[in-house]
Formats: sequence, structure tokens, C-alpha cells
Amino acid sequence: MLRYAFRRLSLLPLSLFLLSLVCFGLLQLTPDDPVRRLLPDEQARMSSNDPGAYDRSYRLAAASLGYDRPAFYFTLQNTALPDTLYRVARPEERSVLKAFTLRTGNWPAVQKYYHTLKNLAWEVRPEDAPETSTTLRRLLLQDDFDRAKSTLSTLKGNPGLTSLQLAFQEMENGKQQSRLLLPSFHWHGTNNQYHAWISRLLSGDPGVSLTDRRPVGSKIGRALKWTALLNGLAILLVYLISIPTGLYMAGYRGGYFDTITTIGLFLLFGIPSFWVATLLTNFFTTPAFGMDYFPSMGFGEIPDGSSWWQIISIRGAHLFLPVLCLAYPSWAYVSRHLRRSASHELDQAYIKTARLKGLSRSAILWRHVLRNASFPIITLLAGIFPAMLAGSVLIERIFNLPGMGQLLYDAALTRDWPVVIIVVLLNGLLTAIGLLLADLAYAFADPRVRLNGTKPSAS
Amino acid sequence: MKKKGWLRKAAITWLIGLFLIAVFADFIANDRPLIAKAEGELRFPVLHEYGSALGLTAPYQPVVRNWKRVDTEWALWPVVPYSAGATDLKNSNFKSPFDAQETGPRARHYLGTDKLGRDVLAGLIAGSRVAIFVGIGSLLISLLIGVPMGGVAGFFGNDGLRGSRARWWGRSVGGLLGVLYAWISLLPYFRVESFGLTVALLITGFIVGGWLLSLLLRLVPFFRKPTSFPADSIFLQVVELFVNIPGLVLLIALLAVINQPSLWIVVLVIGVLRWPYVARHLRAELLRIRSLPYIEAARISGLGKWRILFHHALPNALGPLMIVSAFGLGGAILLEAFLSFLGIGIPTDQVTWGSLLRASRSRPDAWWLAVFPGVLLTFTVLAANILGERN
Repeated sequence: MLRYAFRRLSLLPLSLFLLSLVCFGLLQLTPDDPVRRLLPDEQARMSSNDPGAYDRSYRLAAASLGYDRPAFYFTLQNTALPDTLYRVARPEERSVLKAFTLRTGNWPAVQKYYHTLKNLAWEVRPEDAPETSTTLRRLLLQDDFDRAKSTLSTLKGNPGLTSLQLAFQEMENGKQQSRLLLPSFHWHGTNNQYHAWISRLLSGDPGVSLTDRRPVGSKIGRALKWTALLNGLAILLVYLISIPTGLYMAGYRGGYFDTITTIGLFLLFGIPSFWVATLLTNFFTTPAFGMDYFPSMGFGEIPDGSSWWQIISIRGAHLFLPVLCLAYPSWAYVSRHLRRSASHELDQAYIKTARLKGLSRSAILWRHVLRNASFPIITLLAGIFPAMLAGSVLIERIFNLPGMGQLLYDAALTRDWPVVIIVVLLNGLLTAIGLLLADLAYAFADPRVRLNGTKPSAS
Repeated sequence: MKKKGWLRKAAITWLIGLFLIAVFADFIANDRPLIAKAEGELRFPVLHEYGSALGLTAPYQPVVRNWKRVDTEWALWPVVPYSAGATDLKNSNFKSPFDAQETGPRARHYLGTDKLGRDVLAGLIAGSRVAIFVGIGSLLISLLIGVPMGGVAGFFGNDGLRGSRARWWGRSVGGLLGVLYAWISLLPYFRVESFGLTVALLITGFIVGGWLLSLLLRLVPFFRKPTSFPADSIFLQVVELFVNIPGLVLLIALLAVINQPSLWIVVLVIGVLRWPYVARHLRAELLRIRSLPYIEAARISGLGKWRILFHHALPNALGPLMIVSAFGLGGAILLEAFLSFLGIGIPTDQVTWGSLLRASRSRPDAWWLAVFPGVLLTFTVLAANILGERN
């Protein structure tokens, strides 16, 4: 038993590690620039007046955030690219340099061209030559080689331009295509962004939100409280209703109760809960049809000094519809599965024995069938954690509840990566814990699992 | 059961009907006539639109911006003479299906309009196109990944594929290195930019890399030993990893990363996230099939193992595969509605069932915006569930 649990547990870090890699990869792929967002607005304005000073303050900000380090423990890239490319702080700049180097294979020439271009673009003031200045600044971001070439050839008037055109020609003529054919591997050691991020995370500091600079931990803690309440109530409701439903459907197979409930549950399972939730909010929480029986937003305010009954009634009014919408798909799902496995058990010989012994039907159902038919319930318990968190994205959004789902949605729309990634990781952790708990519960419910160390094939 | 029979038929009819509506959406709801006599000649505006999209025909001269203002001698209009995104300001501000509508001699807005007077029925028809596109597209992707994986894992198990160590190690490690090399060096060297060529180059890299390394490894005695390829164990591990990934949450994060929302990306992501379902069912089915006597007979008569898999085992697993596919179709359509309801990943100008539902939230008393898309979605999901029901 212990060894079994241990083996399962040992896979958990691997899964989480892979998930953290995926998250970090996502972070690298994001098109927007967190450093620029952190720079104060005055400095962003400065970028047009004094690009040189802006560049310096950008570098400082990037260094303070640790973006001047390599992204990962190693880089595997083309030999033509230098292994210190990460030191170029601005992503746009980096992508221009990368594209040109991959085109020509001649890093020193590319570097020289870009250096000349940068100096020139900073020198030429918009007041003196507005057109040249805008074109030059646009060239700084132009990562298309051919387009940059045609733009350059149209420029004239400034003495500095000839040296720039010369540098470009040098880059174009000094092509070293053959260098492109070699890959190179470079080891950076532990001084990298991933290492810093993951070690900060492991020491319990998930960083700050990019939108309001509040610590991610406190934001998530506040939201998690509500989501846990919502989902806890929903799971409780699901099991309280679906276990008797499933058992009695199986116990009275073919009867009226079974037929009607089967059809009803099938319909319930198919009706999308977010549609039902939308209808319920539209009809019962707004005055549009004169039926606003339920409050429409949040979890309600509890006035000071209110009695426990008032607290329950206020919270209950706010929670009733969301919990219902969150619970009913799982309720249908669990009941249907329980009915299937329970009717399988009811055909076994030991049930006949129990019946011959004179046990009542409900004693048979609750004492004998439930335990043997409980595999699907356990399997579902594992899947229910993550499914409900995902489901609460919609439900919380529709009912305007400030939980994890709403947090994830808002963070994803505003590209608040620190928050999104922690929610994804947390969700992965919950999924893994759910699966682990389910495995342990299998072993608890069925001694054969403990002996063989294999999972039963639960249908 | 007899009752089940007509239900299944109804479900199939519904899905096929939806498919036909999706395919012929432009001929059912469009704000240009199907056939019209104008400027003294017979014109086919809807067909012509396809022609100009494909670059086959030039637009009519003079260019018609709004066919409703054109003086035609006669015109045959589609059943719903409105396009999904087109506004009708005369009937704006949420006209109910039963309200007085200012449509003149043209057909009413049968199912009402939204804030800008966009026709809800036309929106539903356009939405069915999106739903079918996402459903079938992502299903095809999950089949493309799931069938080979699940088929090989289930049919060969852990000891069905035998060969030298050099072969397995060479192919897997060498193939990976080949792909990496093609990505890092060959793509910039040959200046490949198109998607198709990139994929072709990566696949070439995989094959050549795998072949080279296995040739090389064959020189080492250790790698010459024959072993069997643990296809099933590897498959189970991969599926386990995928199951541990929180699908929906990751989907939201992933789609928010992508700057330009596009249906293709949604299809790709949903397809990739859902392949384990297909693969697991196929694996279980093939585990059963491979121990059947006729497979044994085929093996004894000397047929190759790949031939047995493709010609004898897989066709037999087609039925269960169809069942899982139907179920997956419903799931994918639901997921698409879910995403467009949230407004994530789907282009904002695309009218879908989910986007209509979302619009209803800003105006709760416009019940027609909330009810009709939901009913369509429910029926589609129910139809898929009926077909996907395991008996």
C-alpha cells in the first residue's frame, strides 16, 4: 500500500516539472513586453524625445527584473547567432538581430549595422528632419531584410546615412551562408530566468501581478476561498443526491423511477450548463421579466452584528443558483455511471446470496452494492476537482463571483502572466492530487489493488 | 431496443442536417440574391462571391455594395435575406420576433435582431458553420494523432514490435536530433518560409536523422541485440502526462497568448488536447481484437504485421471509433461555444452560437438571443451524446 502510494507520488514532481516548463514556455512566447509595462508612463513618453535615455532606463528595468539573463539552462541554436544574444534587452531589437543574422550568417557585420543605425536614429532629431527620423526609427524594428534594404536605398540627405548604407552593404556582401549549417550548444549554468523563477516559486514567492502590483499569492488566496466554498458545496450536493439516485435506479431497474430518471439525467447531462446559467441569470436575477427572485452579483454583504440565520440566508440566496449550475452536470454524470456499475454488481452471485439470507433491498444496496460499485464514484472524484475549477470559469463569470475562474479570465484577458501561470500550475497540482487521491481510494475500497499494485479497469 | 433505434436515427438526421446547413450557409442566409436580373443581364450574386474569392471572376460592374438598393427586374432571394454580420439599422435595438419590424416587402427577421439590427437566424446559420468546422476539424486532428498512437499501442502491446536496439534508439533519438537540426540550421539556410515546406523539411529531418543514427549505432555490438519496442508503456506514460495537464485552463491561457485569434488555432488546440480520448478507446478495442482467432489465423498465414493491423484489425475497430468520434464531436462543439461565449480565441467579428449567448447577457429581456442558440447547441450535444452512448 505504502509502496504503491509512493510510486504514484514520485511521478507527481515530474508532471509538475513538465507543466512548469510548459508554463514558462508560454511566458517566453507571449508577444507583449513585461518590462515596458513596468516602466512608468513618463519614461515611455521619453522614448520619442530621447531614445538613448529610454534605452538606458529600459536596460536598468530589465536588469532589475532579471530579464538580462538567459532564459533557460542552455541554448541550442545556430552557430551564426552569438551565445550572448540574451544580453540584448529589448525583444524587438533581439528579433531584428536574429532575423538578419540568420539571413546573412555574419554576426559582426549585423552588429555593426545595427550599432550604426541605432546611433544615427538617436542623433537625428525629429525637429530637424521629421521624415528621416521616423523612417530610421521604423528601421530599428524592421526585421524583414529585403524591406529594410529597399527602405534604406530611398533615404538620403544626412551624411550619417552613407555610413549606414555602407554598413548594410558590408553585411549583405559579407554573407557566410555556410556558417548557418552548424548548430551550437551553450550551457549557461544556473544563472538563468527559469532557475530564478522556479526557485522563487518553490520558496513560496509567486511574484506580483502585472496589472495592480499586488502579490499573486494574496490575490489567489482571496479568490481560492470563494471557489473552494462554491465547489465544496457543489461536490457535496452532487454526492448527496447522485449516490441515492444511482443506487435506487439500479435497484429498481426497469421500473418507472428508473425509466424517467434515466431520460431526465440524459437530458440534464446534455444541456450545457453555461446556457442554463445564462437563462437563469437573465430570468431570475434581473428585473427584465419581473422575476428577480435572486441577487445578481457576488456573495453578498453581511451587515455587522447579523445573526447566523441572516448570514445563512444572505449567502444562500447568492450561492443557490451558481451551486445548482455547477452541480447538475456532475450529478447526472455520477448517477448514470453509478447506475451502470451497480446494475453490474446486482447480477453477481453474492447479491443472490444476500437476498436469500433475507436482507432487505436497501441493506443490500447500501452495504454490499455501494462499496463494490464505488469505483466510478472514485474515478469521478479525481476528475471532478479540475473539471469544477474549469467549470467555475464560466459559472463565476456568468454570476459575477470573484473566484478563481473569474481571476483566471481577467488575468488572461489583460495578459497578467504571473497570475495565469500560477493558476495553471495550481490547477495541474489539483488534478494530480485528485488522481493520487483516487488511486489511494481504490486501494482502500478494494484490497486486490493493494496486493497487485494495479489499478482496476473501472468502466 | 426499439426506442433507441428512432432516437439514433433522429440524432443522425440532426447532425447531417446541421452539416448541410453549414455547407450551404451562404445559400440559405445571405444579403444578396441567388439569381437576379439587373442591368439587363442575368446575375448569380452568391455564386459570384465564391468566384471572386477564388480569383476566378471579376466583380460585377458597377460594383454592388448593397443588393437591397439595386433595382432588379426580378430576383430570387435566399430564405433568410440577411447576412450574419450585416447591420439593419431600421430594425436595430433588439427587435423581438413578434415586434413590428420595418422590413418593407422583404422577409421579417424571423428570430429577431440584436442591438445593431443583425439578424439572429442568419447568425445561427453562420454559427452552425463555425460549430461544424471546429467540431469536425478538431476531431480529424485528434483522429490523426490518436489512431496511430492508440492503434500501435493496443495492437502491438509491449512485445509486438521487435527489432535491434539500434533501430529503436536510432529512430527515436536520431529522429529527434534530425528535426532539431532541420529547425535550427536548415530552415534559415534554405530560407524556408511557407508552412507546408517547413513541415516537409522537418519530416525529412526526422526520417534522415533516424536512418543515419540507426546505421551508425549498428556498428556497436551492444545495439545489435534484438529487443521489443515498449509501445504500450510509452503510450500509457504519454497519456498520463496529457491527462495531468489541466485542459481547459491551459486552453484559456494558450489562446490568450496568441495575439491574433483565429479559428484554425482553436481547431488545432482543441484537437491536440482531446486526442487521448480517441487513443485510449482505440487501444482498449485493439487489445480485445488482437487476441481474436482471425488475427491469429492471419498471422499464421504469413501476412505482415502492419498489413494485419491496417487491413484486418483497424477496420474491425471502426464501429467503436465512430462512437468515440461522435462523442468527441459534441465535446468539441461545446468547447467552441464555451470559448466564444467567453470571447477567447475566436475572432470577434465571427458570429457564433456562443457569441449570441454572450450578447444576450447585456440585454436580459431579449430572450430570443439567449434561447435559440442554446436550443441548437443543446440539440447538437444531445445528438452527439445519443450516438456516443455505449450500450
